[in-house]
Amino acid sequence: MEPTQTMTTPTATAAGGDYDPITFSVILSRFDAIVEEMTRVLEKSAWTSILALAHDYSCAIYDAVPRQVSMYDALPIHTASLHIAVREIAEAFEGEINPGDVFLFNDPYSGNTHVGDFVTAAPVFADGRLVFWSVTKGHQMDTGAYIPSSVVASAADIYQEGITIPPMKMVEEGVLREDFFRLLLANLRYADLIEGDLRAQIGSIEKARQRLEELCAQYGTDVVLRYVDEIIGYSSRRAGQEFASMPDGTYTAEGWIDSDGFGREHIRVQVEVEIAGEEVRVDYAGSDPQARGGANGSYATSQAAGAVPFLYYIDADIPHNHGVIERVSVSAEEGTVCYAKFPASTSVATIVPSDLMQDVVNRAMVEAMPERVPAGGARCGNIPQFAGNGADGHSPWGFMLFNNAGAGGAAKGNDGWPLWYNQAALGGMKIQPIEQLELLYPVRIDRCEIDVDSVGFGQWLGGPGNICAVRPLVDEMVTITFGDAASNPPHGAMGGGQGSGGGQYVEDEQTGKRRFVSSSGAFKVDHTREVYVGVSTGGGGWGNPHERDAEQVRIDVRDGIVSREAAAEVFGVVLSADADPVIDADATAARRGELAKVERPVVSPTEPNASPWLKNQMRDGDTYELDPLL
Amino acid sequence: MSYRIGVDIGGTFTDFTVARESGELLLWKQDSTPDDPGRAVVQGLAAVAEQLDTDVEGLLGETELFVHGTTVATNMLIQRNGPTIGLLCTEGFRDVLYFRDGYKPERFNMHLPHPRELVDRWLRIGVPGRFDPTGEEVAPLGEDEVRAAAAQFREAGVRAVAVAFLWSMLYPRHEQRAAAILREELPGVDVICSADVLPEIREWERTSATAMSAYVMPKIREYLTALTAQLEGGGLASPLLIMQINGGCARVPEILARPVNILASGPAAAPAAALHFAGSVGDNLISVDMGGTSLDVCLIEDGRAAMSREIQVEGQPIGVSAVDVHSIGAGGGSIGWVDAGDALRVGPRSAGANPGPACYDQGGTEPTVTDANVVLGYLNPDAFLGGRRRLRDDLSRAAVDEFVGGPLGLSTVEAAAGIVRVVNANMVGAIRAVSVDRGVDPRRFTLVCAGGAGGLHAAELARELGIEKVFVPLEAGVFCSFGMTVTDVRHDHVTALHQVTDTIDLDAVNATIAEMEGAARAELLEEGFTEDEITLEREVDARYPGQVHEITVPVPSTPRLGPDDIATLVGSFHEQHLAQFAYNRTTMPIECLHWRVAAIGTGAAAARPDAAAEAGDVQPMRTTEAYSTASGEVEETPIYDVAALGVGASVRGPAIVAAPTTTIVLHEGDVLERRDADGFLIEVAPAAGAAGGALTGAVSA
Repeated sequence: MEPTQTMTTPTATAAGGDYDPITFSVILSRFDAIVEEMTRVLEKSAWTSILALAHDYSCAIYDAVPRQVSMYDALPIHTASLHIAVREIAEAFEGEINPGDVFLFNDPYSGNTHVGDFVTAAPVFADGRLVFWSVTKGHQMDTGAYIPSSVVASAADIYQEGITIPPMKMVEEGVLREDFFRLLLANLRYADLIEGDLRAQIGSIEKARQRLEELCAQYGTDVVLRYVDEIIGYSSRRAGQEFASMPDGTYTAEGWIDSDGFGREHIRVQVEVEIAGEEVRVDYAGSDPQARGGANGSYATSQAAGAVPFLYYIDADIPHNHGVIERVSVSAEEGTVCYAKFPASTSVATIVPSDLMQDVVNRAMVEAMPERVPAGGARCGNIPQFAGNGADGHSPWGFMLFNNAGAGGAAKGNDGWPLWYNQAALGGMKIQPIEQLELLYPVRIDRCEIDVDSVGFGQWLGGPGNICAVRPLVDEMVTITFGDAASNPPHGAMGGGQGSGGGQYVEDEQTGKRRFVSSSGAFKVDHTREVYVGVSTGGGGWGNPHERDAEQVRIDVRDGIVSREAAAEVFGVVLSADADPVIDADATAARRGELAKVERPVVSPTEPNASPWLKNQMRDGDTYELDPLL
Repeated sequence: MSYRIGVDIGGTFTDFTVARESGELLLWKQDSTPDDPGRAVVQGLAAVAEQLDTDVEGLLGETELFVHGTTVATNMLIQRNGPTIGLLCTEGFRDVLYFRDGYKPERFNMHLPHPRELVDRWLRIGVPGRFDPTGEEVAPLGEDEVRAAAAQFREAGVRAVAVAFLWSMLYPRHEQRAAAILREELPGVDVICSADVLPEIREWERTSATAMSAYVMPKIREYLTALTAQLEGGGLASPLLIMQINGGCARVPEILARPVNILASGPAAAPAAALHFAGSVGDNLISVDMGGTSLDVCLIEDGRAAMSREIQVEGQPIGVSAVDVHSIGAGGGSIGWVDAGDALRVGPRSAGANPGPACYDQGGTEPTVTDANVVLGYLNPDAFLGGRRRLRDDLSRAAVDEFVGGPLGLSTVEAAAGIVRVVNANMVGAIRAVSVDRGVDPRRFTLVCAGGAGGLHAAELARELGIEKVFVPLEAGVFCSFGMTVTDVRHDHVTALHQVTDTIDLDAVNATIAEMEGAARAELLEEGFTEDEITLEREVDARYPGQVHEITVPVPSTPRLGPDDIATLVGSFHEQHLAQFAYNRTTMPIECLHWRVAAIGTGAAAARPDAAAEAGDVQPMRTTEAYSTASGEVEETPIYDVAALGVGASVRGPAIVAAPTTTIVLHEGDVLERRDADGFLIEVAPAAGAAGGALTGAVSA
């Protein structure tokens, strides 16, 4: 990795002229505006909901090195390591990179995150030389895996994930390589939709290419490049100040992945974080051996996962470019669940184990800097992929349901948000309108509402999980779950409680019996008698629940977020039975006095398999299947 | 004598613009009366009448157009001080408002609070009843549950109830029945159905528009009813018209059917004002209104303002068609500061009116954009607001030095120039966002710069964007309240009808459009417009089949659409898609979702005042020391008094032109011409080393 140029004082260079702080501010905001435009173009013109609504894509600009210049609002799990992918493309085509080219790439064993993420990159030329890369990474709904999903916990190796694409020229000097494009589409389900998504990705990088050429023409290429150095130095400088303000020391934590898609449960991830002055080191050594299925990290995801929490610990105003990323060094042992060896599958790498790899950093750091560190949020779960072949048997349909996703953790002074999705998204995805889902796919959504007491209790509540019921209407519905945090729920922090964990089941409406299924599995839902029900986790709570404002607890109960029982038991707020309840002040004072004597752990749970949800839900005759396969 | 009156209620002032028959304007600012906003209207009218040598009856009796813009509803949302309301929704979906679109902004901000909903969860009540997308009734309406919900609403003392069921925009029967039951059970409580407010697919936006309507309804009804009575009692000769966010106005009953339309409607009057003032220059305009704290930007192409349906007010989507006004926190009061990484920043924090810029000497110590303009010699400390406020330029200098110059090692003037350049860059970004980012090349537009601070920055903004012409209205300070006096009446109609162009049911489409147009025309005729004063505009929300988001494209105005018209529609969709997203798929058909008709009633054109005196010998009042962007030095610069510039008079930069409500700064090579009584046209000198080539472009893939 190239050393970062850290500039502490304005300097003059022969190439770019005198440093001018005003030009600096202007060019910095132009880069962000360009990436913002890329992001909007991709969102508004994409075809599958996974890009157009779920925002499961990232746009960024790299310089020729390649160093990240701007990522604006991209997914950090994609972009904190995207320079590795750009470098791979640049090296593979050294000497053959020309204006108008667009490259495609998805190989997780040479720097990509996982097979499901397609990287499209266009070189940007100015004054006859390559100066920037305009890059998107978009998660495709299908990659031709053995089952209809691009996140397959049960993939036994990378070959079962579908098509692996080394760096390829998809567009050569402005002309689409039709033969290659046909080969690609022939390997994919929903080829028409995915062609649309790829064209939207190309449209997005084309927009940025035009804008970057305009920028270079307006200011002069050397001037722009000179300020790229300054922009990266600026972020480095500010991130360094932030890291220096964090208490030096070594911090450790552990956590557990629910299962690997093949029945191995509670896989341990361990982290050691060292803060030393302006630098941060994150090490996952000692984590469990790699999984048999797809729940493994790739090199790119492990590099990103360790760095992401530090992007939200620092002032959100600091541009997240190479200057920040450089200051966090991440290591993991090859052959562990954090960083798998070829040809293991890394199909789920961007979510499992990455979500947990991020959240163990939160576990490790919260006591040292409670103001900056949130409680545990949902890791990817309750985002099933549904698929079928249509009433006629040959009209394939499919979609990922984001509306049932789990919630975010609380932070000091702030209740968590619902629909956090996972650590990789940090809440920055979108759900489908129920009406749009029912218009486009042969399903009916019977319900989508908050699950009472799913929040992690605390002085500030985790966000609530929700219950979502999906009824297939015309054919048997293949359902693929890939996720985590049901049996090992989001942690509470600084005395806060854990999230509910949740899970999913298929209910047979004729017998009333329910088949519970683990968070990684593949199964079918019979459209003549069954309904799929997902119950997502709440986020972890922050701070002691008995210190939550009593009036707020009253409102939580009135609004059906927290039960009366939990209000009395955990929050120490005793309420009347009215629809608009009244606080019993004396009983509340007494109960809160008792609760104040009970010490609550800094982080909880500290043991694997801590969610009581499944045990509480199972009734006589219900069954539980761990990692079922189709 | 006849008058056109625009009244715009703001938080501090209620602005009056009275246009006389001759086109001459009378402007008046009355202190607002937030406890009873109508009082300021009546007080202001009395003051205005006195100045016109008449009384309120005399004024109102000769008023042919009375348009009112009110922030009463918007302020209720901002302050969240509206009444308790209820939401009746489909069973299983009471959290539609809370879940929103599932998007948490500011991904890296762990402390961002959730925008609260307008209806508390215990008063969001689900009832059985369900249609599927084909219109089949999957479950009948649970009437007993509706009555039970009514009982809970009654107990909670709700003043209004929003009824929003899934699929109601296609099958409104359940909503209608539930509303009837609620009205029966809850006399005196307003009940509003989502299919009446926003009959479009997507339940969050529809529910939100309905809840917002219910939230503001009781107070708006009370207020508008009282105001109508007062004005009619005063002898108002024309119906009271209310400014809407769609850029047109409507009568009170229309507003009470869809109150969401009056939210944030003030800036929506800008396009009408821009077209009135600068219409003689062309109908491709970008209007920029720069006040003390914010900058509002709006694109007007071919005489039509860009519209959006993604506007949110206080974090709540309104869903209805709105003039696409892009606002950023950049104004005269925006504060310049140096961040922890030694970067110069301007805004979004503003010194506002209080304490205001440092030069106001009201306790403000941080340097604002106004202070920077004082330091640079552009604003004359002795002549601000016509000399009503003396500015302390020493305080401006001290503030710029302490917070920007010192930390960055720049001289006072360099630092002030830096503040102006950075705020200009922010404004350029906002203008690019409504043009370049939407596939529109701003260089073929005229920039219309209004607001007290507009003229200071106009030429530089245009230069940065490659725009050649800038128009600065003479009355730059009252842009929007003036706009209300020249706005049209506008009713928007929409019908959800799902069609794919290769299998399109032309009869169904034609019937849908005919029904909307018939209703719209009847409405305008009933309001007194003649046939030739009515314009009907058709649009459709369309996408490629399988795509998620739509773009809105024009539908040909042929009385009965045929296959050729559909081909035209499809063609313009492909073209739009290419311009906006840099690709299209021309072999595919188009999926159409919502058909729209905008019905516009245009009254008699407002008269223009007589042209000012012909140009005589143009001489500067005096000279001043002002910053030159060409040399980077302070140089002796002439100042001209606007009163001395007759029509056709021209001034070449560098120069400063001082008008009562704005100051115009011309730089090297810029040429200003007194256009007519309405304002000034600046021919902007190109930037040194300006790049050629198209700003936008696309590849057909």
